[in-house]
Amino acid sequence: MLRTEINELLTQTGPGTPMGELFRRYWQPVLLAEELPENDCPPVRVKVLSERLIAFRDSSGRYGLMDEFCAHRGASLWFGRNEENGLRCPYHGWKYDVTGQAVDVPSEADNGNFCASVKLKSYPMVKLGDVLFAYLGDPAKQPPLPEWEAYTVPEGQVFTSKRLQECNWLQALEGGIDSSHVTFLHGGNLESDPLFKGSKGNEYNKGDLKPFFEVVDYEGGLLIGARRNAEEDTYYWRVTPWVLPNFTMVPPRGDHPVHGHFWVPIDDENCWAYSFDYHPTRKLTDVEVAAMRAGKGVHSANDAAYRPLANKDNDYLMDREAQRRGETYSGIEGIALQDSSLQESMGPIVDRTKERLVATDAGIIKARQKLRKAALALQEGVEPVGNRPQDQKVRSVAKVLPREQAFVDGIGEAMRAEPGKPHTTV
Amino acid sequence: MPKVVYVGSDGDERVVDAAVGESVMSAALRNGVPGIIGECGGNNSCATCHVIVREEFSAAVGGPNDMEDDLLDLGVTDRQDCSRLGCQIAITEELDGLTVDVPAHQN
Repeated sequence: MLRTEINELLTQTGPGTPMGELFRRYWQPVLLAEELPENDCPPVRVKVLSERLIAFRDSSGRYGLMDEFCAHRGASLWFGRNEENGLRCPYHGWKYDVTGQAVDVPSEADNGNFCASVKLKSYPMVKLGDVLFAYLGDPAKQPPLPEWEAYTVPEGQVFTSKRLQECNWLQALEGGIDSSHVTFLHGGNLESDPLFKGSKGNEYNKGDLKPFFEVVDYEGGLLIGARRNAEEDTYYWRVTPWVLPNFTMVPPRGDHPVHGHFWVPIDDENCWAYSFDYHPTRKLTDVEVAAMRAGKGVHSANDAAYRPLANKDNDYLMDREAQRRGETYSGIEGIALQDSSLQESMGPIVDRTKERLVATDAGIIKARQKLRKAALALQEGVEPVGNRPQDQKVRSVAKVLPREQAFVDGIGEAMRAEPGKPHTTV
Repeated sequence: MPKVVYVGSDGDERVVDAAVGESVMSAALRNGVPGIIGECGGNNSCATCHVIVREEFSAAVGGPNDMEDDLLDLGVTDRQDCSRLGCQIAITEELDGLTVDVPAHQN
């Protein structure tokens, strides 16, 4: 259970809120690169941390992210003309460059002087891999560009998708750090999903329904170890890193690409799941990428606005027969939708005063506490962790260890990301 | 048998005979002490067995462990200097007479 004030503290991320200010110390995914595919392409609306913004790519290939609404009388620049290195409001022709600076106010006689005085709020946005990351905080506090391994591997080794999730970001994050649901909710997919099946770890996963959890602090957040029985004298450990505030990685299976998520608040009742799959030492195969595009693994099949085709309006295409046959545990197809269907079913912001936490929720309890402490400390001027490159060079790990060995000792440096180093997987 | 005294928020005292080795939470549950819930069964996961240890016993009882410390921050009643989770206090002969206050709300 969580008291009401703390639930509000953790779930509200608009401007000026403690958690909103914390989020504004991190580069966050705001678009897939495919959404701004070429110079002078149509601008795209971005809502993130309860701010309404417009993103565009100018004639020179520069990315802009700024207030969605024209400084003049508030028309949405989504209708704008993206041309000649700027986005022009079609109402009266006011034009802005990628920094939000007005560069032409053709409706006014004193164009030059007035124009120089008009500037929209804007934020830096950069392309890393196949994702556009933005920083919405104080420019004086801007951290270095993120160095997540997924976005530093050579081209062809990463694939990212995004999916609308119609609930608060924390509900989605908490699913990402709770390994105990995998055996139940995703049990059927461990055998059938092309991006999961065929690993020895899956057998251990399915063979032990009662994982033991051990949560260990590390510089950028937590390492959440889930222990299941392996052989007579060994345990199968799945180690999930959580990096503040909203990055999680799933432990790998066999030689499959390894995946993870950013749970990015849109507003307090919606978030984007940015879901990536990368391989540290090889290109993704055509077959793998095709499966990802088709919504397998941690991805989903979506409409043009990145809302899953199976959603709350059609009961996620519930298949009671598949549920009965045991093909899927919940009757919902696909790992991503199995998660989001249940997380959305809790309501936009779940009332955590009513929950009943148990021992397998240890990771969730520790993560909430770290978030709370980081948000409160920031108000006192203490800079957060997780936005430093050294915190981000982290990997998930799956490993079989002797029963007497602590998992942090057993995995050693396996959780540190290094270019070209194979991942530690079972 | 060591005794444990639970003082409710209304001032009502309940004196319980506890077994050595059992927890302040389970002794309360076994004897129907109001205000102690122990939802997670003593797994240090839910913060519904919050008690405030009377100062004269606080040194003998000691402070919270790491997870317990986090839970005390997140639970529904404001923690105090001597707040503990009852499930994390094992009763010993030395703790005979241990007196704890039970907050008005646990969930």
